Amino acid sequence: MQRIHENDTMEADERLEAALHLRVPDRVPVSPLIYYFAARHAGMNYADLYSPAKYNQALDQCFSELGPWDAVYPLNFYYPEINSFLFPMKVLEPGRELPEDSIRQFLEEEVMLFDDYDWIVRTSARNPRLVHLRLFLEKWIPRIHDHIGEGWRSYGYMVPRMMIHLIRWRSEFRRWRKKRGLALLYGYGYEAPFDNFSMARGLLNFARDLRNHPEEIRKAAESQVESYVFSMKLACRYMDCNRVMIALHRSSNHFMSPDMFKKISFPSVKRLVERLEEEGLYCVLHCDGDWGLNLETLRELPAGRCIAQFDGATDIFRAKEIIGDRICIYGDVPADLLTLGSPDEVDEYCHRLIEEVGRGGGFILGSGCELAPTAKPENVKVMMDAVRKYGYYDSSARPHIV
Amino acid sequence: MNISNLIAEIEEEKTLEAVKQAIADGADPLSLIEEMRGGMSLVGERFESKEYFLPELILSGEIFKQAVAIVEPHVKRGATHSRGTVILGTVKGDVHDIGKDLVGIMLRCAGYDVHDLGVDVPPTAFVEKAKETKAGLVALSGLLTVVYESMKSTVEELEEAGLRDRTKVMIGGGSINEKVREYTGADAYGKDPAEAVRLAHRLIGS
Repeated sequence: MQRIHENDTMEADERLEAALHLRVPDRVPVSPLIYYFAARHAGMNYADLYSPAKYNQALDQCFSELGPWDAVYPLNFYYPEINSFLFPMKVLEPGRELPEDSIRQFLEEEVMLFDDYDWIVRTSARNPRLVHLRLFLEKWIPRIHDHIGEGWRSYGYMVPRMMIHLIRWRSEFRRWRKKRGLALLYGYGYEAPFDNFSMARGLLNFARDLRNHPEEIRKAAESQVESYVFSMKLACRYMDCNRVMIALHRSSNHFMSPDMFKKISFPSVKRLVERLEEEGLYCVLHCDGDWGLNLETLRELPAGRCIAQFDGATDIFRAKEIIGDRICIYGDVPADLLTLGSPDEVDEYCHRLIEEVGRGGGFILGSGCELAPTAKPENVKVMMDAVRKYGYYDSSARPHIV
Repeated sequence: MNISNLIAEIEEEKTLEAVKQAIADGADPLSLIEEMRGGMSLVGERFESKEYFLPELILSGEIFKQAVAIVEPHVKRGATHSRGTVILGTVKGDVHDIGKDLVGIMLRCAGYDVHDLGVDVPPTAFVEKAKETKAGLVALSGLLTVVYESMKSTVEELEEAGLRDRTKVMIGGGSINEKVREYTGADAYGKDPAEAVRLAHRLIGS
């Protein structure tokens, strides 16, 4: 058995599975979304993260000095153009438009045209499995990246890079699993259809669309579900992992009312989770922003199929009370605490998370979204250590029931 | 429905038509702007009571901007009364501007004279503009955690330039909270654009 910590009685993957299924694992698992921080900690520039060798060197150094942790959270894109699948927006890159020590930043410009809603619905009616890929390769990627070109040029540029990217990820995942005994949090991920529209339309256009054309948005989002399922299924099989990530950057109450969420964004998310369930796949829902008023709606998702990751903006303790009997909760040591707080404050917050949100299982400790690049290394170490110090469950612990 | 209610109901086309019609009918431009401000403050109230969310705030801001552009050429110079001058910008190292722009619109609606320095603004630019305009308030925006340092150095440079006695500083954005306010030495932090207006009233407003 490959142990992460000496007193573990489960392997990392079993531990993650138990938490996801709302059972009580041997201890609380921890999985940081660690990317920019790793570069900074290793004394590299953020532009260096595009190099697989340097990215892996940075992660290894972090793991040896500040780890261990239980699960790999993959978010390293070796080509800026691949990153556009998660963030379909014009982007300023470190080492290109920005200094090498800046992090990537996005611009709120129109990448998606209003007519694209209709194109998605029509294309999906003819070929539901490929509409998502075609939307990106034929419409959005050429509009985001001027150097690629349209039509076959876009396919010619992107497809080989997508293949190389997948091959690299798979070999990295294998290394983490075999060498360190880590679990893989998910094998593949996309931004949810609705949230893609919000980013690609730009906020002002999208605010108008929400007001004047909500049905078009909902239909276009739902039309993409089968194409998500199709490519996620293939990618997960290739990565040998039954979990996918669905990012929801723009569905929180920071961006919209709970009513709009329920009527326009949520139907496609629910359908997607249900379809993935039919295919034997589980979901990590990356819930940025304040989800306080959306939590009741999330109860409609099938129980024991999802992990909801919060970033510090949602009251995670309240989330445990409302959805903790149906969805595994993941988070949420906030960026400001890791950056400005003392190790004692971080320790105290992690302890509280483990005690309260971790009660009865169904909890994964993590940073609130991306681990802030400005975080103090000693605080990161304290966060990772917290699961060893406080995270072991008593053998009599029972699953959390609301 | 009057102009104030049209804005509050986020009726983009109807508001702009009504404003054009009012100008054509010879309405007083300043009272029109007052009416528009009334509409925006209703939007602010609905936002705070969680009846409205970001889309409504963005759209009403856009309607207000367009309506002001129609009315402004008809306003006599010097006829408006300013509640105070605010220097606004996203601090160095960050280019995000949605929150900053909304704060700018809400402050203008509330009667402040706003100088928006844009994004990625170095501390010296805030200091120079504050000196030049004798602004009572500097409003610093930022989404990323790198902005903590930029905000701190901006406050320090205002201090070094001897401006802190008469220039208040408020901060806001993504991960800004009381802990960050304390670290940066700012006077106040706000969670959203509606709160920014309340803070401005408290810090410099009459």
